[in-house]
Amino acid sequence: MGKIILGISGFYHDSGAALTIDGSIVAAAQEERFSRKKHDPRFPKQAINYCLQEAFIEADELDAVAFYDNPLLTFDRLVHNALAVAPRGKEVFIDGALGILGKKMWVNDYVRQAIGSLGKVGKVLFCEHHMAHAASAFYPSPFTSAAILVMDGVGEWATTSLGVGKDENIELFAEINYPHSLGLLYSAMTYFCGFKVNSGEYKLMGLAPYGEPRYYSRIREHLIDIREDGSYRLNTDYFGYLDGKVMTNEAFHALFDGPPRKPESRITRREMDLAASVQKITEEVVLRTARHLRKSTGERNLVMAGGVALNCVANGKLLAEKIFDQIWIQPAAGDAGGAIGAALLVHHLYFGEKRKIQPGRDGQKGSLLGPSYSSESIRAMLDRKGYPYHHIQNRDERLRLVAQAIADGKIVGWFSNRMEFGPRALGARSILGDPRNPNTQSVMNLKIKYRESFRPFAPSVLLERVSEYFEMDVESPYMLLVAPVKKERCKPMDLERFRGGDDDMLPVINQVRSDIPAVTHVDYSARIQTVRREDNPDYYDLIKAFEAITGYGVIVNTSFNVRGEPIVCTPLDAYRCFMRTEMDLLVLEDCLLYRNEQPQFEDDENWREKYELD
Amino acid sequence: MTHHQLFEYHPLIAYKFIPNLKVRIPHESGGYLVQTNRMGFRSNHEFMRERNPQKKRVLVFGDSFTAGDGVSNGKRYTDIIEKLIPSLEVYNFGVSGTGSDQHYLIWREFARDTEHDVMVIAVLVENIRRIVARYRRYLDEEGRRVLFAKPYFVLEGDKLVLKGCPPKREALREDELPPEEQPYVERGGRFELIRRVINQLGIKDFVHKLTHYQPFPEYDSPDHPAWLLMKAILRQWVEEYGQKERVILMPIPLYYHIEESCDATPYRRRFEEVAEELGVHLHDPLPDFWAYPPEVRRAFRFEKDIHPTPEGHRVLAESLKKSIEKVLGLNLSFS
Repeated sequence: MGKIILGISGFYHDSGAALTIDGSIVAAAQEERFSRKKHDPRFPKQAINYCLQEAFIEADELDAVAFYDNPLLTFDRLVHNALAVAPRGKEVFIDGALGILGKKMWVNDYVRQAIGSLGKVGKVLFCEHHMAHAASAFYPSPFTSAAILVMDGVGEWATTSLGVGKDENIELFAEINYPHSLGLLYSAMTYFCGFKVNSGEYKLMGLAPYGEPRYYSRIREHLIDIREDGSYRLNTDYFGYLDGKVMTNEAFHALFDGPPRKPESRITRREMDLAASVQKITEEVVLRTARHLRKSTGERNLVMAGGVALNCVANGKLLAEKIFDQIWIQPAAGDAGGAIGAALLVHHLYFGEKRKIQPGRDGQKGSLLGPSYSSESIRAMLDRKGYPYHHIQNRDERLRLVAQAIADGKIVGWFSNRMEFGPRALGARSILGDPRNPNTQSVMNLKIKYRESFRPFAPSVLLERVSEYFEMDVESPYMLLVAPVKKERCKPMDLERFRGGDDDMLPVINQVRSDIPAVTHVDYSARIQTVRREDNPDYYDLIKAFEAITGYGVIVNTSFNVRGEPIVCTPLDAYRCFMRTEMDLLVLEDCLLYRNEQPQFEDDENWREKYELD
Repeated sequence: MTHHQLFEYHPLIAYKFIPNLKVRIPHESGGYLVQTNRMGFRSNHEFMRERNPQKKRVLVFGDSFTAGDGVSNGKRYTDIIEKLIPSLEVYNFGVSGTGSDQHYLIWREFARDTEHDVMVIAVLVENIRRIVARYRRYLDEEGRRVLFAKPYFVLEGDKLVLKGCPPKREALREDELPPEEQPYVERGGRFELIRRVINQLGIKDFVHKLTHYQPFPEYDSPDHPAWLLMKAILRQWVEEYGQKERVILMPIPLYYHIEESCDATPYRRRFEEVAEELGVHLHDPLPDFWAYPPEVRRAFRFEKDIHPTPEGHRVLAESLKKSIEKVLGLNLSFS
């Protein structure tokens, strides 16, 4: 057996763990899935336990344990920041220093306490944050060499890093440092628009197509100076994160016509336009940086990671611009994915092991790297709880029943295979619906997910059918690319009133925009997941079964959770979510549970309070 | 707590391990690996009915001390014995949280047709309390205390009668039980409130020594109803089994006894009596534990968890090995 390495990320947001054996990712999971606390930043002891379980090894069999961040460098940044803003910023410094000195510095102790061993190296190996991100993007990619782009809020110092990967080596040759950060600019706008930082950025991106980039010039003029090569500087006079606990300050509010929107209050034209504006800025920086990177490295391939790499609209534009021949993005591009990067960095750079690339395939394994549950353990749970179910062992029959239910307009909770690693549900812990049905979007948003009605849903499409539905002909297995719906499928929309200044988005949302309206956003785009049989056979065959019934090789796929809840992990999590919503059918591997057959659900926790809104 | 459920309902035993599991349980030791076989017992290998002609086979029945709570499969005394005695395979039928009544039922349901050479009945001394219980406390997936019903035997005259079968499938809340059933909840011993306070103060060992605490007064008299029930279960099991010369009865001591914070004489005397009465081999491992100095013995259990550490299992394995070899020497084949 090759080297066994445990990678850990944590103590900032979205902690996680990953385990590699001989350079192959064997397991990876986010702590939030087990703790049921969204973006849980705590030491990922349950995720680590799972990784060791999946590999079925004792902790002392680990060759090394790697941490995704260098706490000393982060502390250095905090000290510099404190000196720069003194005498202000005392609270920021104390909070940050406590976080680092109180936790990160003691990672060795946390690991020893959690698993009883530090592996054969005998100490935790620390990486640099952006190196971990870069490694998470490059090593699992299918490329022997590639340009590397890492963009996030902040790691230790770096907020944007440019590099190149070749075989086992990674070199980061340029970086932009804190406080200048595209990620923090996006987060500041997320906060200002009334969404939660480090979680609501996705909503801002979804809101952008409703607006006009009316604030673009103002942002360019006052907040960010973007150079031709994509490098940028922020005007820190407008931000609160250097010396306070909020992202923006009075100058920012004055610049954008008033105070931040209160969370859960009505979304106005201002927020839509701000979203469109900051999205345009983001795309501009990403595209310019990519062009510079292409030119300076000469590489034909690009790999990306860091929170900004989850901006699938920008990714789609990058793809459409054809700056690089191929792009691969780490699906767990946020901090949790740093665990994979840390483990692989140690494998290739510390132990000097060679990369093994499977031609044409990445090493991410469909990102289905989390726990699975056998039919036996699912039935044990259902039997013990007394929940009625149908055990349908005939696979074809089961898939046909589920596909028929979707075609009949039912909303299906789909729990199958190993759980996804990363923020997107990819057909293992998903809620599924019929994309042809004009009611699917509103039903799923309001009765299933309990979230804002403007938010779009994504399609899962058979890989071989992708260009029949979308203006795209490449693979997008991780739902990280946005592309237009085929023109011939689109239907004209009446936007006169909305464009005329009416804030109400509902009349826009409720218009049928294509023959797959549930997955067509208001700008006729879609966030696409292509599905290959090799990655997830049951999910692929389910879509095939749906195609056999309807003629459409595409379904609606959204994450199996309610708003603010981490994606479900266990069969019991799935059952609870099923019963708290208005889903019609729950599929737990080969067990089917119909809502109308279930007993009254005695909910023993106030989940609406437990799961904070993002 | 693990994110995997470990047990499934069984209509005779109450529950057993879910088959084909590979799970890691977080623990104060850092965690341990649990693997179950197709039959649903904690074992790295499948249980076959026919014996491998090249190997001797031992069947072991017991509770969590045998199933191996706190340690990975390979570190349990049963698995260590397999390594210590070449050409021996040990089938571990241990199920955590069960009593000797359920072990007898496990033998009846799963093992009676399994060819073997020796059968070990491992009775954790605490089991005397479990056999009179009809409900046991467990923590559910949310960490809440719930009760599960179990099968149990009662003595009607000289006759052992099985009751509570099939046990209720769903968990019960303690306040749901009718008053007449309340005494049959296994609460982990006497003086529940005082125990809780003493444990929280961390002065348990001191108090035990000071007060000459006897955790299991059920062994004090040969006529105690709980002991009479234990004896009846063992007698029926051995009689039904029919080959007493192959049976090793092993009372497993708790840490009180190993660390000599309470008197082990009563339970040892009872097991000596019953072994003699039934004509089975008695293996008392306590002297082998006592052979170690007191400061070493403390390491035979975990800091908080009272289950044996890998070291505790090693000592138990080396101890039991002697009796297994002795019995194997007398019984070279099983027809």
